[in-house]
Amino acid sequence: MANPLGETAGRSHANETASKGPLVSVLVPTYNRRRYLPGALASVLAQTHRNMQVLVVRDGGEEVADVVRSFRDPRVVFIDRKDNRGKPHSLNEALSQAQGKYVAYLDDDDIWYPNHVETLVRALETQTDCRVAYSDLYRVYCEIRPGGERVVRSKYVEISRDFDRFLMLYFNHVLHVSLMHRRDLLDETGPYTESLNILIDWDMTRRLAFFSDFHHVLTTTGEFYCPLNESDRISDVRRRDSEDYLRNVLTIRTTTPPKPWPKIDELSIILATDRLDQEIGQMLMRIWRHTFYPYRLYLPLSPEDHSRLDCSMPNVVVVPVRPESSINERVDVALRRAEGKYVAVVPVGLPIDDMWIEDPTYAILHHAKGREGFQLEGTGDGQWGAVLSRADLEWARRAYPHLSIEASLMACGVKVRPPRLEELPFQFDEMLRRGKLAEADGDWSIAARLFEQMGQRYHNELWMKTMAARAHYEAGDRERAGRLSREVNCIRPTIDTLLLEAKVRRQEREFAAAIRLLVAAEQGLSGSANSTVMQPVTGVQRGQTVGGV
Amino acid sequence: MDISNVNEIGKHKLTQHYEVLRELGDCYTSVGNYSQAHRCYEKAASLGPDEPGPYVGLGVAALQVGKLDDAEIAFRVACRLDARCAKAYAGLAMVAQQRGEYPQSFDLYMKSLELDTNNITALLGLFQVSCEMGSFAKVIYYLQVYLQSHPGDTSVMFALSALYLKDGRTEQARDMLQNLLALEPANQDAANLLEEVEHTLAGTEQR
Repeated sequence: MANPLGETAGRSHANETASKGPLVSVLVPTYNRRRYLPGALASVLAQTHRNMQVLVVRDGGEEVADVVRSFRDPRVVFIDRKDNRGKPHSLNEALSQAQGKYVAYLDDDDIWYPNHVETLVRALETQTDCRVAYSDLYRVYCEIRPGGERVVRSKYVEISRDFDRFLMLYFNHVLHVSLMHRRDLLDETGPYTESLNILIDWDMTRRLAFFSDFHHVLTTTGEFYCPLNESDRISDVRRRDSEDYLRNVLTIRTTTPPKPWPKIDELSIILATDRLDQEIGQMLMRIWRHTFYPYRLYLPLSPEDHSRLDCSMPNVVVVPVRPESSINERVDVALRRAEGKYVAVVPVGLPIDDMWIEDPTYAILHHAKGREGFQLEGTGDGQWGAVLSRADLEWARRAYPHLSIEASLMACGVKVRPPRLEELPFQFDEMLRRGKLAEADGDWSIAARLFEQMGQRYHNELWMKTMAARAHYEAGDRERAGRLSREVNCIRPTIDTLLLEAKVRRQEREFAAAIRLLVAAEQGLSGSANSTVMQPVTGVQRGQTVGGV
Repeated sequence: MDISNVNEIGKHKLTQHYEVLRELGDCYTSVGNYSQAHRCYEKAASLGPDEPGPYVGLGVAALQVGKLDDAEIAFRVACRLDARCAKAYAGLAMVAQQRGEYPQSFDLYMKSLELDTNNITALLGLFQVSCEMGSFAKVIYYLQVYLQSHPGDTSVMFALSALYLKDGRTEQARDMLQNLLALEPANQDAANLLEEVEHTLAGTEQR
């Protein structure tokens, strides 16, 4: 039940402050985190951007009305629901009352720094055409004392990844707590999926990626907590059920928002089959399980086979064909129904595994030159499959319907080849994996070199500089470690890079500089969370001494 | 929030706050701000109760301001936490040295050097205590071992030269001083000692 006083006051306040920048609706769902909710709410209400509507939704569990009311802030709208219906329902409930131009999210046990909303609003209003922006957050490793007190052990900006749409389709690399997006985007994405019980945030960020790029703001604007001796996070507990986890993943991957999608080109997969049997059934299951790129699967079946089909797999379009139709004819009929800008022709028996379709799809999206298609792995020995532009395939089939698919493409000058290694997706992730393996093996110099190369070639410059600095330090190259960490600290200092630069300075007997860096790091670790906004550290000069000592 | 590839938590991720405080304590100690160093080490000790480092730091800070009893307690805690903590034994040796308990100090320095032959504090402390006690053989050994891994350390080279001279090994003293002056030509103490050594050698040759 909404708090009438809060709601009314929230609306009038919104009007009054319209001149103070756009209204931002902040969504704070809460469930059984009464202890941490005051800290979370205090951090919201202390934002330097004042024009906010703060929607707190109690999703059942512990009473928190007194906590919310204790703030006596007219911007707060409290939805006090006794029954637990889950986070997506709570978010949708809050969104139904949201009025802001922008929407931001905070979990009930996390905190924002005072600059969070201002930073993201400024980015969205003045720095980018994107309709989504996100900042960096500290992951706070803490120990929970018996009374529930959190003792901070460390704060790391572990994920500072530039937006990568292809990656976003595969997994989430943007924390919801760091996210702000235009509210009208939800008209396109649709609401939160209430059938999900984990990966709720990814489901939304994935759908947002169909409509907008995400702008990454390289500023640390908050903290999320990671208890070392327990995990009370509902999503952590639920992730341990692997079947349930997979169910959620598959739901997310196969649920697409309504079209048109300005940022994603759908893939039409045509299964070139002339029958429906157990092998086809297994192939369908494998495609469902191993495909994350948005697709629609076209299955050319005779009416008899169609009537036998019992398929719960989403995004399957059965295309009726005559029983006597050849494979080529079946593909041609399916092609006439296909809507994707790209088409994959998949032969029966092709091995289906992770990345089976994404590798050639990524290659055609990013590396195709002229009329070029890319073979599916496993092609050969009488099996032929590829990802092609639909326009090329339609043209080839119109021109040479009597030829095989492959021959008609060749006759039209469409070159089909396997993707080269450098054309495959997730190059950055592969190098990151290699860098981390080198670290684990103690090959710090190799790791440092890889991280530096990655920063130069694949964006994510600050993140990679941070990792390279650490690796250089471990490898004994203190000069390089110091230089890189100093470069990071001039832009976006973190506890980790301040500590590293301080260690180097201390070893160079520059104690004053080291002390200044360490004091900044210590304040970041133990200071009041709401006042912890770390400024770029540029004022420390080499060789500076401590006055009065 | 949902990030599917949650990294494993490395050990360094559990000790960052501790490490910042310990480093800060060490820096304050280096610039002589012992009250701030004490504050940092105490906080570090509360975050890393099993780590000897902050207790060694607390001991050093107390030692520097003449609080020998506090220093001893801190060093003993460090020894209890890590029986192989060379710095803690060196700290205890310094406490004993400042109290004038030279034999005990000598043994503690020796213990420290057994655990870490590179501990320069213990090495120079042992040198000082040996001078007080007039017993040089063991010190010479440890100084030689130290120089094998730190061949350019002129302070140890000087100490060893002085010990060679006291032990009657005049030619070794001369060679060491000549090496030292090659590295540090402006070292006046070494030049003076070399002059004394050469004078001694000249007298020996005349006889």
